[in-house]
Amino acid sequence: MFFKPNFLLLDYAIRSLMRRFGKSFFIFFILSLLIFVLASVLMIADAIKLELNTTLKTLPQITLQRFIAGKQSDVPLERVEALLDIEGISAVTPRVWGYYYFKPAGVNFSIVGIDAYEEQYSATLSTLTQRFDIKLLEKENGMIIGEGVQKILSENYYTEFFNFITSEGKWQRVHIAGVFHSDLALESNDLIILPKKLAYAIFGMDKSKATDIIVKVANVKEIPTIVQKINERYPDMRAITQDDIRVSYQNIFDYKSGFFLALFSICAFAFFIIIYDKTSGLSSEEKKEIGILKAIGWSSDDILKEKFYESFTLSLSAFFVGITCSLFYVYALQASFLRNLFMGYSALKPSFALPFSVDVSMLILLFLLSVPIYIAATLIPAWRASTLDADEVMR
Amino acid sequence: MIVLHEVCKQFMQGDEEAHALKKVSLEIKKGECVVLKGSSGSGKSTLLSLIAGLMQPSSGTISVEGKEISKLPESFSAQLRREKIGFIFQKFHLIPYLSALENVIAPLIPENLPVRILEEKAKIAMEQCGIAHKAKMRVNRLSGGEQQRVAIARALVNNPSIILADEPTANLDETLSRELIASLEALKHSGVTLLIATHDPLFFELPFVDRIIEIKNGEMIL
Ligand SMILES: Nc1ncnc2c1ncn2[C@@H]1O[C@H](COP(=O)(O)OP(=O)(O)OP(=O)(O)O)[C@@H](O)[C@H]1O
Ligand SMILES: [Mg+2]
Repeated sequence: MFFKPNFLLLDYAIRSLMRRFGKSFFIFFILSLLIFVLASVLMIADAIKLELNTTLKTLPQITLQRFIAGKQSDVPLERVEALLDIEGISAVTPRVWGYYYFKPAGVNFSIVGIDAYEEQYSATLSTLTQRFDIKLLEKENGMIIGEGVQKILSENYYTEFFNFITSEGKWQRVHIAGVFHSDLALESNDLIILPKKLAYAIFGMDKSKATDIIVKVANVKEIPTIVQKINERYPDMRAITQDDIRVSYQNIFDYKSGFFLALFSICAFAFFIIIYDKTSGLSSEEKKEIGILKAIGWSSDDILKEKFYESFTLSLSAFFVGITCSLFYVYALQASFLRNLFMGYSALKPSFALPFSVDVSMLILLFLLSVPIYIAATLIPAWRASTLDADEVMR
Repeated sequence: MIVLHEVCKQFMQGDEEAHALKKVSLEIKKGECVVLKGSSGSGKSTLLSLIAGLMQPSSGTISVEGKEISKLPESFSAQLRREKIGFIFQKFHLIPYLSALENVIAPLIPENLPVRILEEKAKIAMEQCGIAHKAKMRVNRLSGGEQQRVAIARALVNNPSIILADEPTANLDETLSRELIASLEALKHSGVTLLIATHDPLFFELPFVDRIIEIKNGEMIL
């Protein structure tokens, strides 16, 4: 009986929603809020997970840092050769990197030194080395900078080159050889890539040392044993594995999920109050209207159809409003606030865009949990009233 | 056309059964105009509701236009009401927050016809009842007499072949009552079957009334 739309009936249904504007609007508001909150939380969680997984894949398998007196310190380069002797290690790369404080803008740039003859430890770096000629960089004292760096530098009239001030107070002039657009949101655009010798000069570092060491293994399952071996040989080295990072992210997630469970419960509670209120019966006014409509020739079907139009219009529009708001909030507004709750302020680099990922099955689930339930909760009491004798409800 | 056979109707009033109608048998022919009189509580409204299929008899049978209304599936009795019967309720039973026009259109909505046609039909019925000038007003702002005329227009809108009127003049002054009677007479002449429940003595001496039936404590007095 629901096939042929009756627009007059739809019109009647919308008018009767409007008539009870306060109540309809309250339900509409709660329903959209509920869908908004749930969809946002799910979308953020999804986006962050996606982001983390992409990031984790690009992270080194093992990062070795040296600690002296509890402070991180540079690692002597002769350890690179020694590490290669350990069974199972397939590559060892010393890294030279650090931060450079750019006073005019009050920001830190990340400087990473690279070497043309070394294997690059991250996917981003290896694409960069393919795109730009590193040997030329070395010859001409050039650097490749991220878009963000370029923006800040050009605002300060450095369009061709930049004069770094080394730790000895000298000027180190480096010209801008290229700009890269990072596809990876987490690999933030505050990055400067330049030849290792320049990095050493700017940081004033001992050329026989590296900031830390990246280790690649042949078999991922061997990582714990290899870490153990490294620790035995160099007690002052601390190994950070991909797993460690994954676990610490996971902890953040798990810790936050308690909060979201609470949020979810509140929403669900509000929803079920509405549902309960609906199913617990109609007001005598609504019953009387049903009685009158039956008496003037509407069948129970017509009445149910009208109620269906009413509840469908209300819940579907609430659903769309909720989803639209959460799409806007998560992707256009970058989920300010909720996002911080999820990740903590410092757990990750603060600047990355949530990658767009809409899980259709999640949307369907949300739809099924809201629209049909609300429709059913409206139809059941209406059906009960419409099967009574018209005469009885009209009294 | 309308045939009642030994119709009984009991209501539960608290723990007791109240007999609103006791073995009522009645036959009203097509095009006949019957006035039903009786004191308050005698069962007039109950009888009309039974004929319209708004409730089921406790026993006995009622048939309208050859169809036994108490045995029809719900959707068919609704259709019968919509197509054949116009009911003027004692308490009007208008939908208070709708306009007069919307109230008059309401019975036609399930037919899923273009609005234009429905509005046309409604306008004709409202003109017939002299209430067309209040079409846009919300009915709960109308006076009792105006509400009654809207209720009558709503009963006429589907061109019914049977009109069941429950105290149609109860809220009208004498002039309006006479106007109403004139329009009922016109309906009678166009072949509509009329059953009018009333206390109003105006109805007792009308030339076009074929029969006056009295009902007392749920029983017909012949
Ligand atoms: N739904 C109901 N439940 C209980 N009792 C009812 C119900 N409907 C009618 N009655 C009783 O049935 C009897 C007949 O009522 P009905 O309304 O038919 O009388 P009436 O002749 O129309 O009276 P009036 O002239 O006051 O309108 C009354 O005693 C009334 O109380
Ligand atoms: Mg009555």
